[in-house]
Amino acid sequence: MSGIIPAPIAQQPWKVIFLLCIIAGFGVVVLYSAAGGSMSPWASRHAIRFGVFLVMALVLSRFSENVFKFFTFPVYVVIALMLLGVELIGAVGGGSQRWLDLGLIRIQPSELMKPAIILAVARFYDLLPIGQIRTWGAIWPALLLMGIPASLVLLQPDLGTTLTILAGGMAVAFLAGLPLRLFVIGAAAMAVIAPLAYFFGLEEYQQRRVTTFINPENDPLGAGYHITQSKIAIGSGGMTGKGYLNGSQSHLDYLPEGHTDFVFATMAEEWGLIGGFAVIFAFFLLLRWGFGLAVNAKTRFSKLVAAGLSTTIFFYIAINLMMVMGLAPVVGIPLPFLSYGGSSMMTIMICIGVLMSIDREMKQKRRSTLS
Amino acid sequence: MTALVGNGGRPRLANIKQKVTLVAQVRLIVVLGLFALAITTLLLRLFYYGAFEGQVQRSLVSTDVIPVRADLVDRNGVPLARNMKMRALRVIPEKILGDKNKLAMQLAEIFPDTPASTFLKAMKKDRPSYLRRRLVPEDANKVHALGEVGFEFPREDERFYPQHGLAAHVLGYVDADRKGVMGMEKALEERLVDPAKLAEPAALSIDIRVQAALESELGATMKKHSARGATGVVLDVHTGEVLAMASLPEFNPNKIDATALRHQVNDVTYSVYELGSTFKPLTVAAALDAGTVTNLATRYNATEPLKVGRFRIKDDHAQGRYLNVPEALVHSSNIVTARLADNLGKERMEEMFRKLDFDDRPEIELVEAGRPLWPQNWGRVTNMTVSYGHGIAVTPMHLASAYAALVNGGIWRPATLEKVGPDKADPGRRVFKASTSARIRQLLRMIVSDGTGRKADAPGFRIGGKTGSAEKPKGGGYSKSSLVSTFAAAFPMDDPKYVVITMLDEPKGIAETFGQRTAGWTAAPVVKRLVPRIGPMLGVVPDESRDVDVSELTPLLWRPKGES
Repeated sequence: MSGIIPAPIAQQPWKVIFLLCIIAGFGVVVLYSAAGGSMSPWASRHAIRFGVFLVMALVLSRFSENVFKFFTFPVYVVIALMLLGVELIGAVGGGSQRWLDLGLIRIQPSELMKPAIILAVARFYDLLPIGQIRTWGAIWPALLLMGIPASLVLLQPDLGTTLTILAGGMAVAFLAGLPLRLFVIGAAAMAVIAPLAYFFGLEEYQQRRVTTFINPENDPLGAGYHITQSKIAIGSGGMTGKGYLNGSQSHLDYLPEGHTDFVFATMAEEWGLIGGFAVIFAFFLLLRWGFGLAVNAKTRFSKLVAAGLSTTIFFYIAINLMMVMGLAPVVGIPLPFLSYGGSSMMTIMICIGVLMSIDREMKQKRRSTLS
Repeated sequence: MTALVGNGGRPRLANIKQKVTLVAQVRLIVVLGLFALAITTLLLRLFYYGAFEGQVQRSLVSTDVIPVRADLVDRNGVPLARNMKMRALRVIPEKILGDKNKLAMQLAEIFPDTPASTFLKAMKKDRPSYLRRRLVPEDANKVHALGEVGFEFPREDERFYPQHGLAAHVLGYVDADRKGVMGMEKALEERLVDPAKLAEPAALSIDIRVQAALESELGATMKKHSARGATGVVLDVHTGEVLAMASLPEFNPNKIDATALRHQVNDVTYSVYELGSTFKPLTVAAALDAGTVTNLATRYNATEPLKVGRFRIKDDHAQGRYLNVPEALVHSSNIVTARLADNLGKERMEEMFRKLDFDDRPEIELVEAGRPLWPQNWGRVTNMTVSYGHGIAVTPMHLASAYAALVNGGIWRPATLEKVGPDKADPGRRVFKASTSARIRQLLRMIVSDGTGRKADAPGFRIGGKTGSAEKPKGGGYSKSSLVSTFAAAFPMDDPKYVVITMLDEPKGIAETFGQRTAGWTAAPVVKRLVPRIGPMLGVVPDESRDVDVSELTPLLWRPKGES
């Protein structure tokens, strides 16, 4: 690794950066088509955002594990307060409130909570003495950590983010070694609670999303419209697609949200199965890197964080694709690096940045042990 | 023991740590396995969409082009029945937001033919129901403008008959479930819904131009004579194809209401009539065929009514002299025809009628085929009355097929309403000798050129035919006042191609016909006007220089001195 290239540059995780650039670049290409063959309004801003957040991720990756450990709980508390703040403003302003307008930038605290909850839960199990993992004391603080933001986000109401927060936290708790039966019992309890939650917990529009998910053809012009049009878009692409800039579903505005949540359908219409498989393969490479870190990480904290953040990224990808393909309800989760939207890109990039930091520390440790 | 525990403290903690790390590793692999499963599902689903769903969508689009029921077209491809997407009006009572009474009133304003109470009743039902099966766009807009969410406008496939009443009895109509109720819609039901043949219209033998001419001429005459009804058939004598079939008054198959139901009986194939003198050529043909008439110059006594038992047969146009066969036909003598039948004998008469299928429903695709009234016992008197068309009742379709056999060289063929391809005609069966048929052509032509059918003679079209005016059976006897006037014709007689049957049900005498209402004055003129209209369409051009040669027979007609 010595030679012409300066060490800080040579040490950058170039493979991952390259992979991210490929995916986000393809996102720009797709958004260019979604805008009817125009860089504005989406493609150019998507490219700029990606650049900015990539720099942010690289900066994050310079921090050491100890820095993350130190800041985990304070950041968690700040974000939880912001969530509460959003809720209060929403109560004053009326209606659904997810944004916190700080004047210069608008922040969606629930997005920030996704990586924060992973770090917080991982930090908790890192601090927990290893022998207490099978005690009550190992359960309730984690539940509290997850419960506070989850319930605040659910109040907004934002089902997709709630599920992502819970799933990330649960994944970390599961990997931390909580007794298996807890998860089995939890799953069973969910099976009981889910119908109750459906009837009493969900807003009517959310209920409708679930019922139309089960049978989208029920209401092809109403709530089932998204899924039906998305299926048509993907199906009409066939094996090789209709050709770039030739997707009628998205260009003629049949497909709603063709540049955000349903960007995969927009892409598949023009690029066909081949494009779809390529995107999924690229995400597979990204996840392989993330989970590879989890498997090989040496410290408990970094292991749990790597696995949790990778799970969060996986959740974005899987839920979005399932939604687009009619396998999951329309919950409003974007597809990383392809969907237009700043908040989700920031979240994913925070995850990537932390993962890069773990990657860097692992390599340094290996180098230090080798030398 | 304590020492052991104390010693074992550290290793046990390390042990637990190791175990927890192992658990984490194993669980990580489990999680990864689940994720891999999810990705596999996604890939399979994506593949399914890309590979199959697209085709499904495309095939859905193409069903718009293939009709749900095959079209009906005439022999030249003119559409007679097709499918259209029409809007219906449906009410879903539980969704109604507005005041039902008020809505019913508003609907009644838009549809003046239906009372508000009917709408109100439908709106108060538990289940959704149709208020209108068919809606014109303007009415749909008006109902839509009421702003009621309980009304729906489903687009439904409707059978549409672009020719309206034309050939209504041939086409028939379909019910609300698009099932054929009558006519060819019912007769061809299986063919019309056969998925393999949906895209291909079913071609009928009808020529809509001929049909229109027939209906217009029949309709005008029916009106002129205030007749109860009028029927007509144009039949291809060589293939049995029905080119036109009319049963007036007609109905509009697009609008089946009480009037339509009253008029839907197809009098051509379903109603049976005593067709009277039109049977005489059949009797003469049977006698010629059997050889009981060898010399057309032989005269038979027609000076006085013929008494058979307690029955008296008399002539309407009594000549008061001895008549030969041509004269008997020209003057339509019942007496002479009865004598011919008597000479022929009942067995041979009955055999001829059976060969012409007069003992069974008419041979045609339509389900509306009436069973003839066949004499219960064919005695000597019956034999004689049947010879001039009394005591037996058949449909006009029977008569048309019989006349086709009479003039086409003697071959009887079943009639058909489906287009028959070239050289695909039914081989049929021989009923008359070719020589008999040739003779009959001459005789039929003479009836028009010199006899009771003179009013059917359209110059140059060489029409031949026979009148028939029968009193309608009423309450056991015959009613003098109600007549069925028939004219059975064929043209051109030098090479007969088409049979035309026209019939008027209870025509009234008018000044123009000097109060006459017999076939010669009512049904025959229809043929005279009709043939020049349809002949050129069918490839028969008027030609005054051509005619069937009747020179050998004309001398047999006795004429008073001074008349040439």
